[in-house]
Amino acid sequence: MKRVVQITVNGVDRTILVEPWYSLLDMLRDELHLTGTKKGCDEGDCGACTVLLNGQPVTSCLVLAHSVHDANVTTVEGLASGGELHAVQRSFAENGGLQCGYCTPGLIMATVGLLNENPNPTEEEVKFGLGGNLCRCTGYSKVIDAVMDAVESTKETE
Amino acid sequence: MAEFNVLGKNHVRVDAFDKVTGHATYAADVYLPEMLMCKVLTSPRSHARIVSIDTSGAEALPGVRGVITGRDFPDVFFGSGALRDRRVMARDEVFYVGEPVAAVAADDEITAVEALSLIKVEYEDLDRVVDPVASLTGSASVVHPDLESFEGYGFALGGNNCTMLDADRGDVDQAFAEADHVIEENYHTQPINQGFLEPMACVANVEANGRLTVWASTQGPYQIRQQLASVLDMPIGNIKIIAMEMGGGFGAKLRLALEAFPALLSMKSHRPVKLINTREETFTLNGPRLETNIYLKTAVTSDGKITAREARSLFDVGAYLGAGPNSGVGHGLGAYDVPNFRLRSYGVYTNKVYVGSYRASGVADMTFAVESHMDVIAHRLGLDPLEFRRRNALKEGDVSVSGARIPRHGLAEVMDALKEKMDLPRSNGSPSSDSENSRIARGVGIAVGEWRSGSGPSTASISLNEDGTVGLLTGSVDISGSDTSLAQIAAEVLGLEMEQVIVAKRDTDLAPFTGPSGGSRIVYSQGKAVEMAAGDARDKLLALAADRLGVQADALECESGTVYVMDNPPQSIGLGQLARMSLSSRGGPIVGTASLSSMPYNPVFNAQGAEVEVDRETGQVRVTRFVQAQDVGLAVNPMGVEGQLEGGAVQGIGRALSEEILIDPDTGQVRNASLATYLMPLAIDMPQIENVLVEVPSEDGPFGLRAVAEPPGFGPPAAIANAIYDAVGVRIRTLPLSAERVLAAMQGQEPEDYGLDAEALRAAEA
Repeated sequence: MKRVVQITVNGVDRTILVEPWYSLLDMLRDELHLTGTKKGCDEGDCGACTVLLNGQPVTSCLVLAHSVHDANVTTVEGLASGGELHAVQRSFAENGGLQCGYCTPGLIMATVGLLNENPNPTEEEVKFGLGGNLCRCTGYSKVIDAVMDAVESTKETE
Repeated sequence: MAEFNVLGKNHVRVDAFDKVTGHATYAADVYLPEMLMCKVLTSPRSHARIVSIDTSGAEALPGVRGVITGRDFPDVFFGSGALRDRRVMARDEVFYVGEPVAAVAADDEITAVEALSLIKVEYEDLDRVVDPVASLTGSASVVHPDLESFEGYGFALGGNNCTMLDADRGDVDQAFAEADHVIEENYHTQPINQGFLEPMACVANVEANGRLTVWASTQGPYQIRQQLASVLDMPIGNIKIIAMEMGGGFGAKLRLALEAFPALLSMKSHRPVKLINTREETFTLNGPRLETNIYLKTAVTSDGKITAREARSLFDVGAYLGAGPNSGVGHGLGAYDVPNFRLRSYGVYTNKVYVGSYRASGVADMTFAVESHMDVIAHRLGLDPLEFRRRNALKEGDVSVSGARIPRHGLAEVMDALKEKMDLPRSNGSPSSDSENSRIARGVGIAVGEWRSGSGPSTASISLNEDGTVGLLTGSVDISGSDTSLAQIAAEVLGLEMEQVIVAKRDTDLAPFTGPSGGSRIVYSQGKAVEMAAGDARDKLLALAADRLGVQADALECESGTVYVMDNPPQSIGLGQLARMSLSSRGGPIVGTASLSSMPYNPVFNAQGAEVEVDRETGQVRVTRFVQAQDVGLAVNPMGVEGQLEGGAVQGIGRALSEEILIDPDTGQVRNASLATYLMPLAIDMPQIENVLVEVPSEDGPFGLRAVAEPPGFGPPAAIANAIYDAVGVRIRTLPLSAERVLAAMQGQEPEDYGLDAEALRAAEA
């Protein structure tokens, strides 16, 4: 029997009917067609489905949709505001921190979550912070460059 | 070197904005009205006759709109490789655990999954073969008794040997007889998965007029169009492939995989059908790589000149020849000039998942063996490994294995660059520099990778818009940042800014035919077509401008969006104005086009060095520094080139240290089909990769550029194995270089025996 989930996604209040076994990831993709959040494994191993749940990064494939009633979710589509990229999005683009782009939304959301917790991480802390995100294309070097650059640019604007 | 306006400078990828905002659309992101979901039933048996399939239970389940088995497809074989040895879905027999036997389309995924459980298949087990060495010797049961009747069958030794390739030069036996030293070794590499993050996905829809449209995740839209036409017995012209954004393929998405199932189900249900693989399925439905056994024998003089090589390599291809063992011959010599050689490679069938391509299939395996072997020989002779390589390095004018003249290249330059960057050889060279008592031992090792730019048909079309921008249309899928590089080439030729080149998204109805995106061929071959098409457009622009300005076309230059008279720059005309004029000109709107069938042989070299720490108590190996120098000809977009090099190197490091598909030795079944148990590198495992971009212009590539993407993946396993030897004095000849193996070797345990019986193979050949 479907359940009603009330949830705020990217600042918009939504009321959605979902099957009890639906994951947050499937709800975002199949019900809301917010397809920026990717399914790479559906087992919590790859991190491509990372979103912010009440500000915390989570692998949305491991979160049951009906368990997030009244929660606040931010997906990669909700980061840019007024046509302006978020600093982390801009930094990934400008530093070559993406290639095929499939892991990119998850990496960006994990980075935003990390920087919310720790605005001034060391390179080692960034590597640990992205420990739940696999990327097969970049070899991570430019991903790390991108995150460190985002840290710097955020400092400059403060 | 010539000064460029757009080439050689860092540019943000043309698709970056779409990708960082989540708006890039991949095949799984396609949602169509009334769309059904497809799931595939696969074989639980290694080798069995299908006695019967009863689909009635599945068909009766509410919400199920179609069920298909192998008997619903035309009775044809197709091939992912050279040989047509495979049906798109099993018909009378299954050959590996995981082979598709039926598929269902239902209103939603969970109904489709339930329907699979209601399909009853009765199997009768047949003899199976799992070990490739046993498979070659002929004592094992035969996987495909009809082998010789398969279209494309060439030459092999019979039994399970489905293809054998050879190359010979000189008098090998005499060179061995006269050699100062002969070194003979066996190496072994592991089954490995491409590890793309986007599971294979597609949507198929057959319209009322019979036309099939497939939204696909593919590296080769024209190739899967042809293969779909074959297995569905449809005219090619009735099929449209829309190449969606690609979430990584690395060779696994070069050929037809599962697109035929939703296509046939769409024909039956008259609804669009979507199929998305689970991660588990990506291990058995997309063709990974299986193990390789490599025998090397090398003759060398005391002063370090290689005089002969015998190389025999055995590639386990699984149930079908998805990708051939060509690299066993093509890369048996490495980056070196060897006057006498006897090279053999064998593909053998086993009852395991069929092999596909992965970033230059087999070359990384061969490079692990050849480049480890080079160090073994160097140490035997008491020579520095880099110096030994230099003495044997291929030079311009030498002849390749295939008989091609070696054109200008940067092999010496990349070795020099590595030497300088890593300060080689280390005068205080480890392991002697480490205290025998310290827990952590440090070492350094090198390896050289070699590749040639991929070729194949390439086309491009460039049209001038009324505002002076241009639209660039090619049929090639962007898997590497190639759209950005192609736009740069067009911009450079036409004197435009990057922002003025619009790269069109493509489908097979719209774009002209092109070869697949693989083998590092796009920017080299397709780039040549873009350079030629832009040149064609430029000629037409200049002719029109010459007419208008009353001068000869050769007096004109095209730069910064205008055409001007070189002797009198103020006398000029903008590209937008020319475009508008062209609409009513005799020649009509300006479109430049180009087609080419192939590009000349063109070598690429990459020299890599690894610094490692080996834990003497656990055998754990950590790469603390990784440096690579590659001759890229011209770094079109340096940031993008570095990204390709870094990604390739890290895939190679994963192959070296942790990645391995575990295969059940009895059933041949994949035992670790998940990303929790198939261990790909994470950021925390990797050092920041250091790159040196060497630019020795190629003779034939556009603006002298060379292929980039394949070579960085080749060297890491050997470089790291050589570094482990440097650190702790043990030689590991089997991948991965796991802590268990390193520890066992340090404790003096006998290594696993994967040896090919070279003597028996010589006898079989005779």
